[in-house]
Amino acid sequence: MAFTLRWTGMTTFLATETRVQLHEWLAIGTGSLVQAALLVFVWVLDPTLLPLTVIGAMVYSVFLIGQRVLNEAAYIRIDHKLNELYHASPMSPESYFLGMSMGILIAYTPPLVVLFVILEFLYPMSLAAVGMLILALLAVWAFSSSLGYYISTLFTDMKTIWPYSSLLTNLFGIVPPVFFPLSLLTEHVAWAWVPALLVPTSSATALVEAVAGMPEMGGLTTTQYLVAGGSLALEAALMLLFGIYWARRTAREA
Amino acid sequence: MTEEALRAVDVRKTYHTRGAPAVEALRGVSLSLRKGERISLLGRNGAGKTTFLRIASTLLVPTSGTVEVFGHDVVGHPEQVRPLVAVVPQEGKPFFHLTPREQIYAYLRARGIDRESARARVDEALAQMGIQEVADRLSITLSGGQKQRAMVATIIATEAPLLFLDEPTIGMDPFARRGVWDSLRRLTNKGCTVLLTTHYLDEAEALSQRLYVVEGGRVLVEGTADAIKQQVGGTLKVSIPNGAALREELSTFGQIVSDGGTVYVITGPERINEIMSLAMKDRLAATVGPVTLEEAFLQIVGRSIDQDEG
Ligand SMILES: Nc1ncnc2c1ncn2[C@@H]1O[C@H](COP(=O)(O)OP(=O)(O)OP(=O)(O)O)[C@@H](O)[C@H]1O
Ligand SMILES: [Mg+2]
Repeated sequence: MAFTLRWTGMTTFLATETRVQLHEWLAIGTGSLVQAALLVFVWVLDPTLLPLTVIGAMVYSVFLIGQRVLNEAAYIRIDHKLNELYHASPMSPESYFLGMSMGILIAYTPPLVVLFVILEFLYPMSLAAVGMLILALLAVWAFSSSLGYYISTLFTDMKTIWPYSSLLTNLFGIVPPVFFPLSLLTEHVAWAWVPALLVPTSSATALVEAVAGMPEMGGLTTTQYLVAGGSLALEAALMLLFGIYWARRTAREA
Repeated sequence: MTEEALRAVDVRKTYHTRGAPAVEALRGVSLSLRKGERISLLGRNGAGKTTFLRIASTLLVPTSGTVEVFGHDVVGHPEQVRPLVAVVPQEGKPFFHLTPREQIYAYLRARGIDRESARARVDEALAQMGIQEVADRLSITLSGGQKQRAMVATIIATEAPLLFLDEPTIGMDPFARRGVWDSLRRLTNKGCTVLLTTHYLDEAEALSQRLYVVEGGRVLVEGTADAIKQQVGGTLKVSIPNGAALREELSTFGQIVSDGGTVYVITGPERINEIMSLAMKDRLAATVGPVTLEEAFLQIVGRSIDQDEG
């Protein structure tokens, strides 16, 4: 099968998804609660770490978009069967998957903008750092949306999804150094930077913090830059390609 | 484009679920629809209707057999088939956080229909389904039947060459059902082809030019409603309340069915007089009416179940 992509209808579906998500503005708000709470904790405990935590909060928020994709894709398919309307149509399965992922990304942009304003206020970023931030967030979005879409197809019942969703959030958002600096980890376990920079969420965080030159982060060596940048780019690209492949494959049930 | 809208040959489907025995949902279904036809698939729950519709609309891979939509192979070239079809899934629901108008418009646009035509078709479909009044309310606030109308409106608005509708009128009131019938008639007059499933046999009869009765994953009978009714041995039904004592005698006139204390004789017009006089002799009332498709269905499928069990 030739790997040519077909985009008919994608922008419309993207707009549809954004609209649907914006109707659930409460979910967009509550999706930022953990980040807000952590920001308050850090502000009370050690305000010098605040800029790092804001970047972590942005990465975490973008990772959560993948969880929204997981839920939305499963909900549309299991509870509404609307996927059947879109799959039995000229719109390609990749347009369905990417339209949904981008639509949710757009709906969930406002909290990111708020976090960015806070960040600029606390720690004005260089242009390079802002560029790195945007690239890193897009990579995390590509990774987590594709993962979310893939996992959504494994379920036949909405109820069984929740535990997996929370497992992923903890595995990618809380355990690795996203909300806390990488240096805090390597102080205790010197080699811990290897796994940390292989996980897309923490490599994204570290890259942005290092490019921004945040002192509390401790900086990255050239090797570490290569590991973090290489793994993030590779994981995001491969996951996205896999997501497209999987969307095509599951447009029709076996 | 060929004149044949759908052609299925020996389609089989076995579902394999981990930890459960395999289910043979289809065991060799063959059928064909000419362009412009309205056809109903009838069958008991679990007969395989949804399975067939999902295979034909590229949503499910068959275990074996071939299906062609306007000459395109559904298995090998789904991307050529998909632009030609549209589906009302069984138990589908509209986007709760869109209004019916938004949903239909968004769906038409996603199918590549231009803005102006899309707007015109949205209005038309809303009117045909009688949901103009609720067209601008979020679907989550609609009643069950209104939600279903919104789903059907979404699909008929596409005017796709081949429409699959899986129990489209479920939960609809008699007015709404007739609205669906009218729309489907109008679409086939325009050249669209329609394959639907329904458990309302009056609907199947009113709406479809031919019917396929599916049982146990096979086509049991195929034909017009009248032809199917003929298969039960007559087009008329004489009902005789409290006629149990006459059962034996009546059986020489045609097929006998008992329901409660009433005996029904299915027969042709030429035997009616004799049956009436027999009933009158015993001072029993007898009424004559046409055999309905539902009665024919119960007979034909019932016979098949008995055979399988026997
Ligand atoms: N995903 C599935 N996995 C396993 N078995 C299935 C699956 N879907 C359907 N079946 C089985 O296949 C058979 C045919 O099901 P199908 O849904 O096609 O029936 P149907 O004729 O549409 O019935 P209904 O009138 O109830 O909608 C049934 O025995 C059903 O239990
Ligand atoms: Mg069904």
